[in-house]
Amino acid sequence: MKLRHAKLIDFTGELGQFKQYSGFTPEVVTELRNKEKAEVAIIVDRAYCQGLGENVPYLVSDHLNLTGDNPLVGPNNPVGERFPVVNNIYLGAADTMDQEETWAIGNPLGKFATGVAAGLKAGVVPGSEEIKFLRELGASLYCYNLVPAMLVAAHAGLKVIGIALPQGESLSKDVLACLLR
Amino acid sequence: MVKESGQMVEVKPESAVALLKKTYPVVPDAAVILGSGVNVLEGLHNPLVLKYTDLFGHAPSVAGHSGTLTIGRLGTAGHDPLVAVLRGRFHLYEGYPWDNVTLAARTVVEWGVPRLLVTNAAGGLNLDYNVGDLMVITGYRDHLQPCWKEEGLLPAVMAEAVPCANAVTDTLLSVGSKLSQEDSRFRPLRQGVYAGLLGPSYETMAEISMLRSLKCDAVGMSTVPELMVCKDTGTAAGAVSVITNVWRPDEVMGGHEEVLEASKAASRRLDTLFRRILTSA
Repeated sequence: MKLRHAKLIDFTGELGQFKQYSGFTPEVVTELRNKEKAEVAIIVDRAYCQGLGENVPYLVSDHLNLTGDNPLVGPNNPVGERFPVVNNIYLGAADTMDQEETWAIGNPLGKFATGVAAGLKAGVVPGSEEIKFLRELGASLYCYNLVPAMLVAAHAGLKVIGIALPQGESLSKDVLACLLR
Repeated sequence: MVKESGQMVEVKPESAVALLKKTYPVVPDAAVILGSGVNVLEGLHNPLVLKYTDLFGHAPSVAGHSGTLTIGRLGTAGHDPLVAVLRGRFHLYEGYPWDNVTLAARTVVEWGVPRLLVTNAAGGLNLDYNVGDLMVITGYRDHLQPCWKEEGLLPAVMAEAVPCANAVTDTLLSVGSKLSQEDSRFRPLRQGVYAGLLGPSYETMAEISMLRSLKCDAVGMSTVPELMVCKDTGTAAGAVSVITNVWRPDEVMGGHEEVLEASKAASRRLDTLFRRILTSA
């Protein structure tokens, strides 16, 4: 996939090169639906991994929508289908770079851990029972903004690179260079 | 009455029931709520057709949902069962509030109809299922109520499935079993747990795995509101899912024609099943 015109959405407040959002707001929806030439949305959110996975940056491979809501509820926006298929929307590291380029410069995203993100309602902090349950369901982390943003992006026909960063962490220079090239 | 957002105001089952009683003097023996693409109980005797717009003030906006209530008898005799068939429903994913989504079922309860049959088209989670199977819902999971918007879905996911045990469900299973014994072409009914999700996006593969680990057999975006409304009322409700696809990651999905043909055959079996149930006491 070409990342050149990718939508750059940052919920962590750490990535100056991205558009900053404090949470999943109507502005995020507007940005994702204004497709221009974009084929991909790169969405970076905070990851909470305690009790679930390692406290490392994740490349999200899939999600569980446990927010209790869906941003596509309501009259359908003609940018996409009434019943969008949201399988195979998250890109893996290998999808972001062709093989020759990977051999030449390496793919820093390939070093990321991959995992399933549980999208929780903003502000919900799961207790120990809930953490145990989330782990049984296959989640490696939970986050608040990535899942609704991904659903809007998928509905608008975009593929998604979902990155979840632990508290206080940002993206390294080589990863940023790979995403912004 | 419909605001531009698709939201509704001021809807009461009492006014629908008042209109029904004024139009038709007898309370039906049973009601049936049909989902999209399910065609059964056509050709009722002496039918009276009411539009949802007259009855409820609005009609469903999804294609394939006609939005009518038809009252008629299954046969020509005066003692043949009187049935109300509701074609079309309101969905939460369209943006309708809970009061609107449950309006048809609340009307059936308020009207005093003793038995309700509900149908839907559902995705199969159980890997033994095939396209065109009919599944009697013996339990359901509520992942769609508006309260989860406030709390998040974790409590819903951690809750047990609600059993759908009543006389109508029992009759569906026993009559279905008899029909498949009598006629080898009548595919045996499945029975299982239906997960009601909000939609409108389909599930991710991680969600499919989650629902399987929660022991769900089929998934869809309706029916749970109707079953919740009827629970513990004088209306016993049973539901049947028409399985329109089975979630298998490695399998090429059947062509549209194949699915359409399977749905038609399923509708025919469902029609046989419902007519037999409605004529059994």
